Amino acid sequence: MSHSAAERLKSLRALRVDRPVRIMNVCGGHERSISIAGLRAILPDNVELVPGPGCPVCICPEEDVYEAIQLALHEDITLVAFGDMLRVPVNSPKREPRSLEQAKADPARLVVFFAAGFETTTAPVAAMLAEGVPDNLLVLLSGRLTWPAVALLLDSGTPGFDALIAPGHVSTIMGPEEWEFVVDKHDIPAAVAGFTPESLLAAMYSVLRQLGENRHFLDNCYPEVVRPGGNLEARRQLDQVMNVVDANWRGIGIIPKSGFALREAYAAHDARERFRSYADESRKRVGEMPPGCDCAKVVLGKIYPNQCRLYGAACTPRKPIGPCMVSDEGACRIWWSAGYRDNEWEGRKKGSAVG
Amino acid sequence: MCLAVPMKITNIDGFQCTCEAKGIEREVSLFMLQHEKLERGDHILVHVGYAIQKVSEQDAADSWALFDEVLAADI
Ligand code: SF4
Repeated sequence: MSHSAAERLKSLRALRVDRPVRIMNVCGGHERSISIAGLRAILPDNVELVPGPGCPVCICPEEDVYEAIQLALHEDITLVAFGDMLRVPVNSPKREPRSLEQAKADPARLVVFFAAGFETTTAPVAAMLAEGVPDNLLVLLSGRLTWPAVALLLDSGTPGFDALIAPGHVSTIMGPEEWEFVVDKHDIPAAVAGFTPESLLAAMYSVLRQLGENRHFLDNCYPEVVRPGGNLEARRQLDQVMNVVDANWRGIGIIPKSGFALREAYAAHDARERFRSYADESRKRVGEMPPGCDCAKVVLGKIYPNQCRLYGAACTPRKPIGPCMVSDEGACRIWWSAGYRDNEWEGRKKGSAVG
Repeated sequence: MCLAVPMKITNIDGFQCTCEAKGIEREVSLFMLQHEKLERGDHILVHVGYAIQKVSEQDAADSWALFDEVLAADI
């Protein structure tokens, strides 16, 4: 741990938290940094870090994945999807997304770009379409907004957290103001964080201090990248190309105004318009997960990954059962990779750590 | 999936640029940063082939220190 992170930790420990506090993060990148830096082990005992809805792959509804697979199997198309961005620049000197290059390289062949992601990832898709793409490039959009899932938790009356660490790169695009409702409507302290342990510790310090002083506000602990109003150009492009619509979240259900859909002006590039027959209503099985898989509870921060009975037993990254163990952003996958091997499901019967 | 990687611009051609990090070169779109004045040597935060924000050299270096740790942990 760097010098400044150690300093941050020292001041955080000096705060003396006198009651149990649960801090939720809603970003797979945050959860990854927390797990790798081992922040859970070094925080005061009564501070819990709860991973929440931070993995777009985990909440991508089954019917969308099914539609993409059916298109790939039955149509004469090339299907393109996002890979693991963190590794890409190191392992492969290619540009992502490659859908545009693919479409340009073979104009006679349809390329369908299956774009699942949160605001950070959906904005570049909007930019690509706004800039103009060849006729043979279609988008199968499964974009989601992050904050409505947090609003859903807060509105439920049992949010399961006392403070929020808001996602840094979602806020880079949309602006930190998107998270003001957490403080204004629910009186819960919030801080936008970057991805270094320093930045995360700064955000944790901020919300713990806010709780201690009973003075709640939205703190921007990633000001070098997160500017007021976000990236205005990116937001303009998002608005030009996409509508905000009600959307289905795997295992959770429909969340109002939580998804993106292409506007009519871009219908010619909308795979859902072109291949209407593939949208299968019967696959919209709200709330259903593979038998025994607790991904929905993990995504909503109701349990920790290792409190799922299948964690590490039937479900590992080599043989994943649920999406949270598949995606690099999934909490189960991150915890397993960070070395958590204990299955606490048995212990859970004796008393839950998370509400 | 929302992680973004800081890279250094080595060449600009309209809304396209070439940038570099750790000896790897990539073509990146500057279409989302049309409002920023960018030149060779500037650092940008790159996500799925698009620059989403301009960053300082120091912030770029800090992020890379973290990525090195992540890659070493092979997660
Ligand atoms: S451990 Fe596997 S089965 Fe359990 S919640 Fe995670 S992904 Fe689902």
